[in-house]
Amino acid sequence: MLEVDGLRKRYGDTVALDGVSLTVRAGEMFGFVGANGAGKTTTMRIVMGVLSADAGEVRWRGGKAGFETRRRFGYMPEERGLYAKMRVAEQIEYFGKLGGMSAEAAQGSAGALIERLGLAERRGDDVDSLSLGNQQRVQLAVALIHEPEVLILDEPFSGLDPIAVDALAGVLTERTAAGVPVVFSSHQLDLVERLCDSVGIIKAGRMVAGGTVAELRARESRKRLRIVVTGAEPGWADRLPGEIVAKTDRPPDGQGHGSERYEEVILTPADDQEALRLAAQAGRVQHFGWQEPSLAEIFREVVA
Amino acid sequence: MNAMALVARREISVRGRTKGYRYGLLVTAVLVAVLAALPKLLGGASDYTVGLAGPQADRLQAVLAAQAAHGTDLSIKVKRYADEAAARKAVAGGDVEAAVVDNATVISKTVVDQGLSVVLDTVHRMVATEENLTSAGLDPAKVGQAQQVRPMTEVTLNGSGEDATVRSGIAMIIVIILFMLLIQVCTWVAMGVVEEKSSRIVEILLTVVRPWQLLAGKTIGIGVLGLSQLVVIAGVGLAAAQITGAVPRLPDGTYGLVAGVVVWFLLGYAFYAAMFAAIASLVSRQEELSGVLTPATMLMMAAYLVGFVAVQSPDGTLTHVLSIVPPFSAMVMPVRSAVIEVPLWETALAMGLMVVAATAVLLIGGRIYQRAVLRTGARVRWREALASAS
Ligand SMILES: Nc1ncnc2c1ncn2[C@@H]1O[C@H](COP(=O)(O)OP(=O)(O)O)[C@@H](O)[C@H]1O
Ligand SMILES: [Mg+2]
Repeated sequence: MLEVDGLRKRYGDTVALDGVSLTVRAGEMFGFVGANGAGKTTTMRIVMGVLSADAGEVRWRGGKAGFETRRRFGYMPEERGLYAKMRVAEQIEYFGKLGGMSAEAAQGSAGALIERLGLAERRGDDVDSLSLGNQQRVQLAVALIHEPEVLILDEPFSGLDPIAVDALAGVLTERTAAGVPVVFSSHQLDLVERLCDSVGIIKAGRMVAGGTVAELRARESRKRLRIVVTGAEPGWADRLPGEIVAKTDRPPDGQGHGSERYEEVILTPADDQEALRLAAQAGRVQHFGWQEPSLAEIFREVVA
Repeated sequence: MNAMALVARREISVRGRTKGYRYGLLVTAVLVAVLAALPKLLGGASDYTVGLAGPQADRLQAVLAAQAAHGTDLSIKVKRYADEAAARKAVAGGDVEAAVVDNATVISKTVVDQGLSVVLDTVHRMVATEENLTSAGLDPAKVGQAQQVRPMTEVTLNGSGEDATVRSGIAMIIVIILFMLLIQVCTWVAMGVVEEKSSRIVEILLTVVRPWQLLAGKTIGIGVLGLSQLVVIAGVGLAAAQITGAVPRLPDGTYGLVAGVVVWFLLGYAFYAAMFAAIASLVSRQEELSGVLTPATMLMMAAYLVGFVAVQSPDGTLTHVLSIVPPFSAMVMPVRSAVIEVPLWETALAMGLMVVAATAVLLIGGRIYQRAVLRTGARVRWREALASAS
């Protein structure tokens, strides 16, 4: 279990982290989301020990993480960095050996990653002759080569084409299946929603929400009803108890409702049963249910 | 393998296989070989063919052979001609450099080379004197004996005269090579530090390697490249000088001197490389590098100039003192040792002080590096770096 406990960090007058705590269990994929400048990178750099915290600590398997512990972590920093004049395979192997692998093990592991990430044809080329997307793949291989016990990846998906996204997602899923906790930050919330077992939302240096996507959804979704009624008189919805978040009389594309008037309402109800009764009175209820908000919607709400 | 060795090996293999390094090494080797052979090349030929004509030719040839065998490093071959016309033709046709006719006239295309001219003149005088004395009634055998004069013994106060020139030549080459090589490899260290900092790769490196391992590995790796360059230069230079005969005999203790230069190179390198690395860790971009390095480069330049002065005045007060004071000693002491005999205790003291200075710079520089290398953006100020280093 990776535990981040009460991290604080300030840069002069800027408070970058104001008591950040999070926990990632073995084999869990943790999505770290937050607006630009919220403190994701700062948190991850402290976890990796390349930045020191003013307060708080990082624990791995119950013990305080020091240099020797972190050597067994894999890291992809937000600002990518590779040796421009070093060959792809050679560079990946180099980091494997630095991470404590024998030359043969590094070679084997690098070869497998190169195949996996679709770099086979470029293995002998200098890194600076590669496209940015391919350089990013090399960067990932560097983070993964020494079979780390923990993976900390700062925006690993940014700049990747859909095929590379799938390849990376596959590799990460494989690692979590092997019991490795994976933390990654991303602005692609659909991706986070699809891949992550749990999500942490950070805002201005504080964790404002966390848990599984289902938990976040359950907490949020109590509040919103989606009601679709056809054949109702205009204005019927004004009598609904609660606050109307959105309203439309245009059906979604391809959903014909004949000649009957269509109306869709998103409601934060004061009394859900009363709302159901009123809807049934007003017309034909086509849909009545708690809305499943996407992670993006939850995020907007939490961060707003 | 341990991390420091891995880092060093990477430096050697990646930098060592760049075209820049390989061609640099080749060009240096060729340049050194040419330089070492230059005195010989510029000095012109020392193999001559001389034409002789006239009744004295036999005698001239004998004396010439005896004379050339003595002392001079000229080798003179002889061709005989029937008369002046034939001799002239041979000179004009380039068969011989000069022709002596009747032991009275010397014929050449242009002015005769000085060395040859001296020999011909001496031979001419000896044979002419012999003739004069014989025709005055003296016994030719006795005249011949009287002409046998043992050459003067040379005594020079600063060792042998020839050695002194060779020694200051060697000293000059030492100071130039030390300076060029030190500034080159230290600049590589500085650029390597900035490369890792500006590309941000240092952020990944430092999660698996400790800062001192990274810095030490880099410095050792580049040091090995620099050292191999020095060895190539010294080897090629000494070999070329001896093969071409530019320096007929190396002065005593040349090999000891070369060993000393290697030690001084390593000490100087440890000192300056640590300094360059610490300074380089303060900036984030290659473009800022030369600016911040200026003071360190100036220091090196000053030592270089003092080293040059030391070639001419190895025992002046300035050079004497600075040959012991670090970091000047690294360039001044080897120069002094090349020119004169330096007492052992002075060398030992200078080396001891340099070891202390280099260790201090390594420790301080290492700490500055450690604190500054992860900080990007604005240049880290000295005061901050030093304050956080303590
Ligand atoms: N080196 C730095 N110096 C000063 N302020 C910084 C530095 N690094 C980050 N910050 C500030 O810390 C806050 C958090 O930044 P960061 O962790 O990079 O956010 P995120 O990765 O979530 O976008 C921001 O306000 C940022 O401006
Ligand atoms: Mg960031």
